[in-house]
Amino acid sequence: MEIDNDVAMQDAAEEPLDPTLDEDAGTEHQDGVQTREGPGSSGIADHKASKPLQLDDGNIGQLDRWIEHLGSCQVLSEEDVGRLCKMAVDVLQFESNVQPVNVPVTICGDVHGQFHDLMELFKIGGPCPDTNYLFMGDYVDRGYYSVETVSYLVAMKVRYPKRITILRGNHESRQITQVYGFYDECLRKYGSANVWKMFTDLFDYFPITALVDNKVFCLHGGLSPMIETVDQVRELNRIQEVPHEGPMCDLLWSDPDDRGGWGISPRGAGFTFGQDISEQFNHTNDLSLIARAHQLVMEGYAWSHQQSVVTIFSAPNYCYRCGNQAAIMEFDENHNRQFLQYDPSMRPGEPTVSRKTPDYFL
Amino acid sequence: MDRAVQQTDYDAFSCKISAIAKKYLPCQKQLELREFSDYPELHMAYAQSLKNLSRRAYGKVQKAVQSSMPLMNYGTYVRTVAVDIAIEQYINGLPKGSKVQVLNLGCGSDLRMINFMSRYPQLRWIDLDFRESVHLKAKILNSDDRFRQRLGFPAGDLSEEDYVSGRYVLHSCNLNLIEDVLEIIQEHTDPDVPTLVLTECVLCYMKFKPSQVLIDEVMSLYQTGMWLSYDPIGGETSTDRFGSIMQSNLRESRQLDLPTLMVFNSATKYAQRFKSNATSTDIRTMWQYYQTETIPQEKQRLKSLQFLDEIEELEIILSHYVLLKAFW
Repeated sequence: MEIDNDVAMQDAAEEPLDPTLDEDAGTEHQDGVQTREGPGSSGIADHKASKPLQLDDGNIGQLDRWIEHLGSCQVLSEEDVGRLCKMAVDVLQFESNVQPVNVPVTICGDVHGQFHDLMELFKIGGPCPDTNYLFMGDYVDRGYYSVETVSYLVAMKVRYPKRITILRGNHESRQITQVYGFYDECLRKYGSANVWKMFTDLFDYFPITALVDNKVFCLHGGLSPMIETVDQVRELNRIQEVPHEGPMCDLLWSDPDDRGGWGISPRGAGFTFGQDISEQFNHTNDLSLIARAHQLVMEGYAWSHQQSVVTIFSAPNYCYRCGNQAAIMEFDENHNRQFLQYDPSMRPGEPTVSRKTPDYFL
Repeated sequence: MDRAVQQTDYDAFSCKISAIAKKYLPCQKQLELREFSDYPELHMAYAQSLKNLSRRAYGKVQKAVQSSMPLMNYGTYVRTVAVDIAIEQYINGLPKGSKVQVLNLGCGSDLRMINFMSRYPQLRWIDLDFRESVHLKAKILNSDDRFRQRLGFPAGDLSEEDYVSGRYVLHSCNLNLIEDVLEIIQEHTDPDVPTLVLTECVLCYMKFKPSQVLIDEVMSLYQTGMWLSYDPIGGETSTDRFGSIMQSNLRESRQLDLPTLMVFNSATKYAQRFKSNATSTDIRTMWQYYQTETIPQEKQRLKSLQFLDEIEELEIILSHYVLLKAFW
């Protein structure tokens, strides 16, 4: 089956701006484009360790200071982001494409740079590391605090590698972040694209799926017509930019649908899959559930395919205007699941005057 | 408050420039029309003139073009094209060669009169808005022969405050003051000529009473016509928080009020304010419009321009905007 729109994905990345309107704006942008180089150019993965990062008093102290700093919604220095990303590579490179996760765990969906709502999530779900967390991607873009959000989650991951799992979402990609905000936010907050390069190089190492107690298959998007077994996911080479098509793309882009079988996705990447597909996949792999994120759902969670699939979305009032609730799913030792819904935090410390208005048609 | 409302013009104009820069606009059909061939060029020329006259307005345009969010471009496309097509259908539905006039209330920096007047030689166009908007627009139109030729050279002394040619009138007017409105439109229009009244994000900023007075008085002035109105609606179900969030977002950051957003919170209720004078009304949400009226080739073309990564958000937002047609 052909995906009709992967050309558009490419276009979007190569031409982040249109310089026709103003020469100043054009030049500014072109500079950004010129300094941009290929994957790996940030150097964060140039000297990878041969075994997982060992925590000692020195780096624990540093991580704790970073976490405290980030917790008040302040960005790290560019140098510290570099150090953090290097450490994170040496944690994430040793994780599996299908990262095993133990119960109990609290499973979360899209966050999208809504930092204050992420803090609210930890209030509702319990602080990490007391509660184990599994995040299913989309930390950046859309919200105004992508840098703080992804820095915080990566710092937590390095500090508590067994307590928190962070999967890759379709927005953890060089191409998408150039359209939906993370790239611009990095330029704005750091004056260059270096931090964007470091994080997007790091994203290549994020695991793409997780398996909770061998029963719940967790991933950002959904299934792929090229993947029948969980073992086939293990065989993929994930250390790369999210491709425009193929199994890795589908896992990060697909959506469940009411129609049976495989369908063409309205998003232009990935597929839609029906109940027959989900049931077959769960049966083949002896799974009880597929947990995924990726789609805005008004209640914060939504069942589909007669409870074969659950969608979890953890960005309340998405983009500060959609009015949806957010949710997380607690999954306990006995495989009981409980949803916790929440609304936007009151944003203490975020001055209302300086807050950007979400876009409306006026 | 008036200033906050007047500023929304720059939002609308910025969105349009962004959609033009990314080639959403004009739509394919217009692209093939001779009279619309300079549509992008005219808009870019206007935007460049804005640079010298209002840094604030220009800054907004620049920002919109730089961020150029696919969702905003989609919504701007749907809004602009839906209004354009409705105008065209109305004019085409009149007896051939029949006189026709368009009354664009709260016109802001809208430039659609230029292409429409070229396409329909029998068309007269009246643009009304706040004094600040009109002065800015008049200055730009007066300063460039590309606009003057198309609109007809202004009669009499060159004015910087309005623009009046044989077929085009740009005049300042506070739509809340019905006596002023009536005086101006009676001077420049003919009550017996079929009249299209356009309010694009205008009624939503007015208080209940003056907006109803405006609708009733203007409709009853003209023998026959169509009112075309584009506005947000708040949403009517108890779990739908879109409207209340929109109200508080805009109040908080822009001091902009939407007094009737939750009053006319559904398409049905929105259409009711036109019912007493209209023989028929037709209203649909912009999501319905996008789903049913946008032809597959256009949808395909839009897809190739930018990567719109999610549909759910687009549906929520476009479902909270309507286009109404009321005929009398």
